[in-house]
This record gives sequence, C-alpha cells and structure tokens, in this order.
Amino acid sequence: MSCDLQAAGTIELYFYGELPQPERAAVQAHLARCAECRAALEDLAVIRAALAKRPDVATPPGGDWSGFMRRLNVAVAAEPSSRGPLDATPVRPLRRQLAPYLAVAATLTLVTFAVLTVLNRRPVPDTTSVATAPPTAGAAGAQPLRQASLTMTNPDPGLLAVSGEHFERSKLVVLGLVTKSGPQDDWAYERDLASSLLGDTRLYRQAAEERGMQPLADVMGDLELVLLQTSMADQPNEASLHQLQRLIRRRDLLTKMNAY
Amino acid sequence: MADSDLITRAAGGDAAAFQALVERHRSMVYRVAYQFAGNHFDAEDIAQEVFIKVFRSLDKFRQDAQLSSWMYRIVMNACIDHRRRTMPSGAAPFGEEAEHKMMNTVEDTPGPEERAYAGELGQVLEAEIGRLPPGQRVVFIMRHHQGLKLGEIAEALGLAEGTVKRQLHAAVHRLRHALNGAKVTAGERA
Repeated sequence: MSCDLQAAGTIELYFYGELPQPERAAVQAHLARCAECRAALEDLAVIRAALAKRPDVATPPGGDWSGFMRRLNVAVAAEPSSRGPLDATPVRPLRRQLAPYLAVAATLTLVTFAVLTVLNRRPVPDTTSVATAPPTAGAAGAQPLRQASLTMTNPDPGLLAVSGEHFERSKLVVLGLVTKSGPQDDWAYERDLASSLLGDTRLYRQAAEERGMQPLADVMGDLELVLLQTSMADQPNEASLHQLQRLIRRRDLLTKMNAY
Repeated sequence: MADSDLITRAAGGDAAAFQALVERHRSMVYRVAYQFAGNHFDAEDIAQEVFIKVFRSLDKFRQDAQLSSWMYRIVMNACIDHRRRTMPSGAAPFGEEAEHKMMNTVEDTPGPEERAYAGELGQVLEAEIGRLPPGQRVVFIMRHHQGLKLGEIAEALGLAEGTVKRQLHAAVHRLRHALNGAKVTAGERA
C-alpha cells in the first residue's frame, strides 16, 4: 500500500459516502490517476456485493423465540435483583410438557442403577485412561459433593430448583448413553437432545459460579462436557460411545446429578 | 409506548415492560450477535447475555441517552466477553493491555488460501470475517450490516471516531488481502 489516501482510509470513506463534498471531488480527481486506489475501490465493491448475499439472520432457527425467552426468563428470575419472571409461562408448564420424558427417565434410572450395581461388583479396568483417572472416581466421589452442597453459603433456592429440573431432563441423555452397548444402538436422539440442553447447562453453570455455588457449578461443568462431546460426535461409533461412558463413570455424573 | 417509558417501568418491577423491551429489540441484538458469531448457538448465548446485562443495568440507564447506543455497547461487550470465554483455557487475557490484544489478535482458523479452493469469494470473505479480531469485527458488522456511519458507531461504542476509522480500515485491509489472495489462487487454478 503506497498511496497515502488509501493508507489513511480515505478511499473507504469515499466509498461509504462519508466524505464532505470538497474532499469527495479531490478523491475523484485522484482516482483518475491512481490505479492502486481504483483497485481498492473495486475490491470494496466486490466485498459489498459478496456481503449482500450473506444471510440476514435475526431470529433463532425457524423464527421460534420460545426457547430463547424461556431461558432468559429463568436467568432473569435467578438474578439477585430479580423483579420476577418475564411472563406467566416459565418453568412449571415446561415441566408438565416434559412429564412423559421424565417418566421415561425415572424408569431408565432404575434400570441403570441396577446395571451399574452389577457393573460395580465386577469392575472393568479402563485400559486407555487409568493414568488420568481422578482418585475420587466411583460412588464415593459423590459424598464430598453432598457435604459441599449442604455447606454452600446462601445457596440460591431458585437456581437449585431449576438445576434439579435441568438434571432430570439431562438424565435422558446420560442414561441413554450409559445403557447403550454398541454401534448397533442408534444414539441420534441423545445427540440432538444434548445439543438442545447445552446452552441451558452453560447458563446454569455460569449462574452457579456467579453465586459462589461451586459444587453445583462443578456438576454443571461435568454435564456440559458430556453434552458437548455427545453433541459433537459427528460420526458416532463404538469407540466414541465408550469414551463417553468412561467419562460419565469417571466423573460419577449420575450420582452427582441425583444429589440435587 | 416509548423505550424510555418501558425502561422506567421495568426498573420499577414491571415484568411485562421488560418483556416488551426484549421483544422490541431482540431481533437487532440477535442479528448483530449472529453476524459476529456465525452460528445460532453462540448467537443465542450472546443475545441472552445482552438482555441479562440490560436487566441488571435498568436502574443505570440515563433517560437522555439513546437506547440503541446503550444496547449496541452492551452487545459489543457481550461479543468480546463471549470470545474471551470461548478461547482456550489459559489463553484468556485480562487487563487493559490484554484487552487491546483481544481486540486486535487474529483468530487462529484456516487461512483464506485454504478456503479459496472452494472457488467462492463469498466463502473466503466469510472465513476472513470470522478471523477478524473481535473489535474490528464488531465495527465492520455495524458498518456493513447495520449500515451505521462512523460517527454513529463511535457514539454507540463510546469510542473516538478516529479509533473506529482505524478499526474499520484494518478490517477492510484484511478482507481485501484475503480477496486478492483468493483471486490469485483461483487464477492459478484456472
């Protein structure tokens, strides 16, 4: 870039129509004899034309704001200075909508605990990640969490309530994953659900961190990791399924979620 | 009802007024957030953050100020905060010097030459916009997608007009560079 006018950004101001008339006339005269600035002007036109084809996205997918408003409602209601929910349709109706799924989750919980109980009696060595497994893995790891929850200073009851409901919804993913046995099992449903739950999980983790509810934030963080890895599994196969199952086991996620 | 009235009511505890405020401005906020982030997931995250910040700051809004300017500033900060949070752990900068670095550090994603093989200049530009430092990206989006003049951007963001001009110039320079790289690559392949 050797032309001073271009280096100073004057050509852009000319292009945007933001130069006063005397300067504009001077730039026009300059353009007649400066190939570099003419090329710059041409590039700007190409950029504008290309950007005009860029989609103008001003709403969530499908123009559906309901999920956005519901999450915002929960977040605002959990604010320390909250003046109340945004509307009269926040968490409880959602719970009713999810009632059938929660019933399935409860059934799966029972089945899974039965399976886990059997598995715990016959521990299988983790050949790929033993060296990195935390010492608190297993059911015993949940005990400090319960104690930490009880000793949290000023826990926000509203956040605890919505977190409990969120954990119930998330169990559909976690339980679905731990009960699958191999590549013949399709887990597209769990991946889709994980994607839809990820935003809320992040929101609740941040809310817990802001309120000093670290034990809750830690569980949300573990859940966020599982949901993220689940949703990002572009080509779900046996290896990635086993990796997720190990992650859930090592973090003792189900037990921790049940503590709420 | 005017925005200022809605804010006064919302600050006084009127939940319906705050909801009306959100519904009135959510498209603008989402549009900027999406242009910045390039995907729905992050756009929604940013837009949520914006309205939570608005909610927290209802009491602080000056009635003589422009709501759009106030909100643009919150959107810009939310975009930059979001970029900071989603950076790899340990790389998140803090402090004034680091903030400057954040505004001007290039994103580490595939370069334009790799994208140019797709043969679409639009894709090259798209990729390069994604690589712009957050500050440049916000200014560029406000100029090109919102159609705001430099003075309006400066006022909205609380920056000097010269700073906005430099950020915009730097962004355009990078995009032109990418564009020319793509032209050369496409020419070599033709």
